[in-house]
Amino acid sequence: MAKFNLLNKIFNTGPLLLLYYLSISEIDTNLEKVFEIFTFNLPIIIIYFWILKRPSVLGTGHIFVAGLINDVVMGYPLGISSLSYLVVCFFSNYVRNKSVNTTIASDWITFFVALIFANLLFFSLLNNFSDVVISYTKIGYNTFFTLFLFPILWLFFSFYQANFIGGQDA
Amino acid sequence: MAVSRDDFSIAFRSALLQRGGAQKFSILSLTILAIFIFFLDIYDFTFVKKTRSIINDIVFRVSYITSSPSRFIPNLGESINSHLFLKKENEELQQVIEKYKSLDLNLEYLTNENRNLRKILDAENIINDKKHIVLAKVLIDRNSPFLKSIIINKGTQSGIKKGMPVTQDSYLIGRIVETNYLSSRILLLTDLNSRIPVTLGANSIQAILTGSGSQYPKLEYLPEEYEAKDGVTIFASGKDGFFTPGTPIGITTFNTGKYTNQVKLFVDPNQLSFVTVNIIRQNKEKF
Repeated sequence: MAKFNLLNKIFNTGPLLLLYYLSISEIDTNLEKVFEIFTFNLPIIIIYFWILKRPSVLGTGHIFVAGLINDVVMGYPLGISSLSYLVVCFFSNYVRNKSVNTTIASDWITFFVALIFANLLFFSLLNNFSDVVISYTKIGYNTFFTLFLFPILWLFFSFYQANFIGGQDA
Repeated sequence: MAVSRDDFSIAFRSALLQRGGAQKFSILSLTILAIFIFFLDIYDFTFVKKTRSIINDIVFRVSYITSSPSRFIPNLGESINSHLFLKKENEELQQVIEKYKSLDLNLEYLTNENRNLRKILDAENIINDKKHIVLAKVLIDRNSPFLKSIIINKGTQSGIKKGMPVTQDSYLIGRIVETNYLSSRILLLTDLNSRIPVTLGANSIQAILTGSGSQYPKLEYLPEEYEAKDGVTIFASGKDGFFTPGTPIGITTFNTGKYTNQVKLFVDPNQLSFVTVNIIRQNKEKF
């Protein structure tokens, strides 16, 4: 029983470790080498899915810290990624409070709204308060592929939740 | 209708203020904290600068360690292959050495001639001494879709300052944009924010090399009558007082490239392991 609990705890921390690892490591989801325009924002998908389905897996404090680490590694002004992640968190929390049963389609639509707001905040802050110039085309591609890949990752995370973590939080 | 509005406000408030379980902090309090940190960083207060510098050094080191598996696994196959073909490679390398030995004699003559010509030009900022060069290892090469930069393991402790040019095998790859005590950030030539004054062709035509966010930077502000030719070598002009004049950068690919006025860099910015920072004095114009 104790062994089972330990395993369960390890699986529970999986999404959080992945979020931290994506923030701090060289690993990225910029696959421009594979396909010229292919980039997507995996941390946002992780945050949205797990806050929606299993909030006990990702704490908001951890999300905030992961955002700060991401800013340090990427060279963005401190706090900007945290703000963007917290916007996603807020939308996800709101959808969870408002709905009883969600489907992949409903999650996809609400994720689109969350993604648009998070990116809007991120890039308008970067544009207005920093000297960093960013290509709008790339922002568009990034947003599109993040949205496009959401259902695939939704299925993958659902499978992980069903097989390694367990049912939904209360 | 009133019920629906109440429902909305309850869900909204709950989403912002809810705590419990793993959610130790409410989203509202963390958002306020993030905004506070953001503005402290934007307005560049001295204590924030120092704190950020320390945090950067720590995070970059941790990031380097955590990224080790991702660096090791892709290189594993390459290492096995290189061991298998060691003998053949050795023979090929010996042939190359012989070839370079013959070229070396010619190089010595050209170096002397170049040195004498530079003395005539009185180019004060051309410094090639080893004491003015810092060899640094690339700690993080995170290929962001928006910013093209890398982190190296040398900082202000080694005399690195903002704006200093960075080269690999004597080819320009970028400049220092952020310095910490033990690490620095290099803005690569491919980044959208990069602008470098360059010279090209036999007539020393002046232009600006602009990062495009892709692997190929572009040439801007070329003279109107300039006739585009492929294969022309681009050098740093040093007009800004930071870059050493004559540092090779790349070759033009005007007609073969995907976009107009493209430049193919001599060094692939995605394959950097070690770089050299040229600790040269800023060349201030004397009027």
